[in-house]
Amino acid sequence: MSAAIRILCLGNDLLADDALGRAAADHLAGAAGPDVEVLYAPSAGFALLDHVTGMGQHLVLIDAIHTGAADPGTIHEFREVDLLAPAGSSPHYVGLLEVLELARALDLGAPDDVTVLAVETADEITVGGAMHPLVRSAIPRVCARALAIVENRRHAPAGRS
Amino acid sequence: MEERRRIVIDPITRLEGHGKIDIILDPAGQVERAYFQVPELRGFEKFAEGRPAEEMPQITSRICGVCPTAHHMASTKALDDLYRVTPPPAARKIRELVYSTFMVEDHALHFYFLGGPDFVVGPQAPAAERNVLGVIARVGVETGKRVIAMRRRLRELIALVGGKAVHPVFGLPGGVARGISAEEQAEFIRAADDAVEFGRFTLDLFHSVVLANPTYVDLIVSDAFTHRTHYMGLVDDRNRLNFYDGMVRVVGPDAVERARFGAREYLEYVAEHVEPWSYVKFCYLKQVGWKGFTDGADSGVYCVAPLARLNVSDGVATPLAQAAYEEFFATLGGRPVHHTLANHWARVVELLYAAERMRELGGDPEIISPDIRTLPTETPTEGMGVVEAPRGTLFHHYETDERGVIRRANLIVATQNNSARIAMSVEKAAKGLLSGHEISDGLLNMVEMAFRAYDPCHGCATHSLPGSMPLLVRVRSHEGEVVATLRRDTDGAVHRGGAAA
Repeated sequence: MSAAIRILCLGNDLLADDALGRAAADHLAGAAGPDVEVLYAPSAGFALLDHVTGMGQHLVLIDAIHTGAADPGTIHEFREVDLLAPAGSSPHYVGLLEVLELARALDLGAPDDVTVLAVETADEITVGGAMHPLVRSAIPRVCARALAIVENRRHAPAGRS
Repeated sequence: MEERRRIVIDPITRLEGHGKIDIILDPAGQVERAYFQVPELRGFEKFAEGRPAEEMPQITSRICGVCPTAHHMASTKALDDLYRVTPPPAARKIRELVYSTFMVEDHALHFYFLGGPDFVVGPQAPAAERNVLGVIARVGVETGKRVIAMRRRLRELIALVGGKAVHPVFGLPGGVARGISAEEQAEFIRAADDAVEFGRFTLDLFHSVVLANPTYVDLIVSDAFTHRTHYMGLVDDRNRLNFYDGMVRVVGPDAVERARFGAREYLEYVAEHVEPWSYVKFCYLKQVGWKGFTDGADSGVYCVAPLARLNVSDGVATPLAQAAYEEFFATLGGRPVHHTLANHWARVVELLYAAERMRELGGDPEIISPDIRTLPTETPTEGMGVVEAPRGTLFHHYETDERGVIRRANLIVATQNNSARIAMSVEKAAKGLLSGHEISDGLLNMVEMAFRAYDPCHGCATHSLPGSMPLLVRVRSHEGEVVATLRRDTDGAVHRGGAAA
């Protein structure tokens, strides 16, 4: 039986600020409680399918983002419902939303409540680059926010809140 | 007044600014130049320096979130060359078996879920339907489940031998870290039988959904998506399609062989052209020379990936794929085929070949031999390796000191090989659709179709949120000032704006 709540941390720890996901997963280890799975994955595209299927109802995703519209370390929070309706801009960019849609269409055990916590990066393309101090300093904050969401979901009624 | 305008089509991904299309207009508002910005990871060479070469198969496979198995294999082959060591036959076969398994999986995903929206759903379908859900609606939930189940099974097999599914760790100089047991061989054979059946099914589906539709066929052969260039790909000793090993063969726009070389010679044949307006390096054939973004036998522009591989191959070594290969060329007017969108069909032919090859190797008695390693004894200096990644020819090149510590590393990835032709395709599609300063809504889709057929790799544009952010087109003056915008929102609504939006 899988845990009711999953925190999925994404990123590539070889790529400067993209190492955030790995660091967050390490930070969360042991802190989330037995009813919460904390996973780290360096996966991309369709490989994400393996991490958002066969699971419980609630997913909290921690990832890096580069919008260029905020200072490094800024935490952006989205609900999946805020982001929904893939416009088909480019099927090559298959990512979380389309994978979730696919998993639901095929009844693969996808979560129905998804929150994305994305930390603004300074550099996520330099192989072997160091994490920006402001991104690093966001790790405890983004983890605390993830745990707060988890706590809220523990008491949430079933279904999409 | 001399003035250029620049349009940026930017699918805002997690990594904004990567994989975007830039279109520069001349003063008359016509497309002067269009190009596709291929993301390039920074600092790889520096990161590799000073590390033991044996780490490279693990490091290079972890850099890319899209085709790690291809990097792992190219890197492992570069180590074979670096240490001048030949893997025992069983090790070579195990590598190719795993690689064939990977190719079935990757091609299936691409055909159904990445290319599917263009052809299974259709280029004329509303944008809101041109996504994976649209594909499922057309092919049915059962087929969708079948694709996913096949993928899972193949990934489990790769993980079994490779150590990890996402980033295999089994390749070593001179062999592999782990052999295959008789029980595991039986599982490979069962999976391969299903994969072959799946390949046949996919080819049938391609017939009924795409080829039976004259509109699609007209689009495939249309001039807007056609370029007469050179082609490059690996072939075996009888010039047949191969993904794992062999010689790199180059044919001209007339399908006549122009070059045939091994990985060690790649620098004699492949050069990189730099343009001031792009950080992308454009590969070209050194011996033909760079003549600009232009078609023809005199231009060094070449193309890799499924269509190119079939164009350089005199045939395919397995029976079902050979029949599919013959039908492909008979239908599209003979070899070579210059229609970019035919890549989707070529990918299905290759899927069938990979499945049949998986079955052949899985059934080979030698595959369970415990003789899987030749220990290196030579002092390393320099090694090169090449494989066919799903997206095209992939070169790895390392120079080391006498201890095998990297002094210099160079990779030429598939999308780099294709970058000049991708730029030409994007430009041609844009020219056909852009008139004056008016940006056609259809531009977005048609331009994207032009590059999507190549399946350009956005290795660092990982886990993006497609459709979750607006698509932006910016018209800029040459000073960089935004003079007009077009934004397509997540609900498909298009908003036009004025300056500085």
